[in-house]
Amino acid sequence: MSEILNQLKDAVVVGEPEQAHELATQALEADIAPLTAIEEALNVGMQIVGDKFESEEYFIPDLMMATEAMKASMKIFEPALLARQEQRQVLGTVVIGTVEGDIHEIGKSLVATMLSAAGFQVHDLGVDVPVATFVEQVQETGANVVGLSALLTTTMRNQEAVIEALKEAGLREQVKVVIGGAPTGPDWATTIGADAYAENANEAVGVVRQLIGV
Amino acid sequence: MNSGVKTQCKPSYRILTEEQIKEIHRASLEVLETVGVRVLHEGGVQLLQEAGCRVKGNVVQIPNWLVEESIRSAPSRITMYNQQGQEAMRLEGRNIYFGLGTDLISTYDLETGEIRPSRLQDVANAATVADYCEEVDFIASFALPSDVPTNSMYVECVKAMMEHSVKPIFFTAAGQEDLAVIAEMAAVVAGGASSRGGRRPQGEDVLREKPFLIHYSEPTAPLTHSHGAVRKVFFCAEKGIPICYTPGDMLGATTPVTLAGGIVQATAEALSGIVLHQLKAKGAPIISGFGVVPLDMKTGIFSYGAPDLRLTNSAFADIFHYYEIPMWSTVGTDAFRLDAQAAMEHAFGTLMAALDGANLIHDIGYMGQGLLGNPAAIVMSDEIISYVKRVIRGFDITREKIGLDVIRKVGPGGDFMTQRHTADHFRQELWRPKFLNRDTPKAWMEKGGKSYEEIVVQKALDILATYRAEPLPKDVQQTIDEIASEAAGELAAIQFVA
Repeated sequence: MSEILNQLKDAVVVGEPEQAHELATQALEADIAPLTAIEEALNVGMQIVGDKFESEEYFIPDLMMATEAMKASMKIFEPALLARQEQRQVLGTVVIGTVEGDIHEIGKSLVATMLSAAGFQVHDLGVDVPVATFVEQVQETGANVVGLSALLTTTMRNQEAVIEALKEAGLREQVKVVIGGAPTGPDWATTIGADAYAENANEAVGVVRQLIGV
Repeated sequence: MNSGVKTQCKPSYRILTEEQIKEIHRASLEVLETVGVRVLHEGGVQLLQEAGCRVKGNVVQIPNWLVEESIRSAPSRITMYNQQGQEAMRLEGRNIYFGLGTDLISTYDLETGEIRPSRLQDVANAATVADYCEEVDFIASFALPSDVPTNSMYVECVKAMMEHSVKPIFFTAAGQEDLAVIAEMAAVVAGGASSRGGRRPQGEDVLREKPFLIHYSEPTAPLTHSHGAVRKVFFCAEKGIPICYTPGDMLGATTPVTLAGGIVQATAEALSGIVLHQLKAKGAPIISGFGVVPLDMKTGIFSYGAPDLRLTNSAFADIFHYYEIPMWSTVGTDAFRLDAQAAMEHAFGTLMAALDGANLIHDIGYMGQGLLGNPAAIVMSDEIISYVKRVIRGFDITREKIGLDVIRKVGPGGDFMTQRHTADHFRQELWRPKFLNRDTPKAWMEKGGKSYEEIVVQKALDILATYRAEPLPKDVQQTIDEIASEAAGELAAIQFVA
C-alpha cells in the first residue's frame, strides 16, 4: 500500500480529521483512485477501530474521532467519485431522525454516526422531524432503512404515525423500520409494527445489518 | 464551664471552597452573557428581552446583573406540607430530606420475580411502601404506568399517590394542560371538596399557603429551554407551585466531559431557569441544582451509580448553598437486581447526598439506570437513610459523655455492662438496624440463612398486604375522580411536545 494511504489509515485510527483531510487531498493528487483509497485506507482503518472498541482499548469518544476523520476524508473523495461516476459501496441507505415534538438528539446522533462508520449512507434529519418529512426523505433517497428515535412517552406515538404514513404512501415494504429511545422497547416495536428495536448505538448496527441481510 | 467549644462532633464535608464557587459562578455568568440559552417559547424570549437580555433569534444572552438579581429574589426557604396541611419539610439551609423518584418504565414484580412494564398499581404500591417507611419524607410516582391512556398518565399517577399516601408529592407532567388538572385536584385535597369551582377557588389559596406538590421539569442540555418546559415553569410560577427545574447533562455528550465544564454549563442552565421563573413571578418558590451524569463510554448508558456523579452532586450542593436557594439531589443504581451493586451504589450516593446537606434528595429506591422500580429497594433505602443519619448525627463530648466518673468507678479490669451510665446512654449512642444482619452465624442459619434482598422483599410484601395510608375523605375522593375523568377526553386529543 502506498505511504500516503498508510498514513491516511493511521489518521483515521488515531482520529485526526484535519490530517485525514490533508492526506485524502494528497492521495487524489498522487492519482490514487478514490475507491482504492476508501477501501484500503478508510475501510481498513475503521475495521481496526472496530476491533479496538471490541477489545476495550477504544471507547465511544475514540470511535467518534475516527468517524470524524473518515467523514473529513469522504468530503474529498465523494466529489471525486461523482466526477468519475463511481459509487462507494454502501451497505444500505438510512433515513434517521428524532420524531416530531421531541428535541432529544444525542442517542439518535450516536446511532447515525455508528451506522455511517459501519458503511451505511446515512441521512440524519435531525430532531422534531414531522411525519411527512420522514416519508418524503425515504422517497427522495430511496432509503431501505428508517431509524426513529423518541425519548418521551408523549412523543413515542409519532413512531407509530411514521409507520402508518409509510404504509399510506406505499413505502412500507421498501424499508426496515428500527426504533429506539428509553421509553420504547421490543414490546412497543411489536405493538406499532416496527421491524426492530435497538437499545443503543452499538446494538443498532448489528440489528440493521441483520434486518437487511448484510 | 468552658467557653466557645462545641460539644457536638459531626462530620463536615464540602468540596468547593468559596473562591472555587465564585470561579464557577463567574464562568457560568460568562456562558449566559456571551453564549446564551436557546428559548423555544416566544413569550419566554419576549419576557427576557423586556428584562434587558440581548436576543438573537431564539438565543438569549442574559446579562450578569439579571442573573444575580434572580438569585437574590428566589426564596431561600420553601416550607412543604403534607396533604393534610401539616408541616412536613423545611427546604432551607442544610436540612436534608429523602424521597422517591418518578416515571420508572419497568417494575420488578415482587411476587413473580420478573421485570415487567410498570402499571398504575405499581404507583399505588410505591406510595404505600413509602408512606409506611419512616425515613421517606416525600413520594413520587416511582412507576410510569403503561396501562393507562398516555396523555392521562401523570394525572392518574398523582391521583393514585393522593389515594395511597399523605406525604408531599414530587411529580412530573406532560405539559401545562395536565399540570393544570393536577393542580385542580390538589386544590380540592388542600381546601376540601366544596372548594372546587368559583372564580378564585379557595383550595388554590390553601395550596399556595401550604403547598404539598413539587413539580419536576427540566431544561434540555445543552443550554436549551423547550417550549413545553417554559410553559410549565410559567404555570408553576404563577400558581406558586414549587418547581424543581434542573437540567440533566451527560458528560461528553451534552456537556463537556470534564467535570468542571459540566458543572459550569449546568449551573448556567439552572440559573437561566431561575431567571425565567423569577421574571414571571418574583419570589415564587423554585428548587434548583443539576444532574451532571457520566455517559458510560462503552455502553452508552446514563449512569446513576457512578462516583463521578457524586462529585458533581457535591459541587452543586456547595454552589446552591452559597446562592441560598434550596436544592435537590439524586441517588440510584445501575444494577437490575437488588444485589451488592445496588446496595453499594445506593449507600455511597445516600451518604454523599447527606454530607452535601442537600435539601430534596430524590430517587431513593431507583434502580436499573433510572429504568427500573423495585418496592423492596425503597425498604432498603429506608434503612440506608437511617444508617446515614446516624453517621451525620455524630456524637457529643460533654463531661457526661466522656464519663470520667464511670471510668474511674469501673477502674482497670472492671466491666461497664452493669453501670447506670450504659443503660442510660446506649439507646442514643448505638444505632440498631432494622434488617441488616446482626445475628451470630448459628442464629442466622436457624432463621433460614436469608439474604438481605430476601428480607426486604418479604418486608415490602408484608407492608403491601397489611398497611394502608389514611384514605381521602369520601367527598374529596369523589371530586378528584370527577376532575380526572372529565379531563381525560380533552387530554387525549392533545399532541404534547417536549
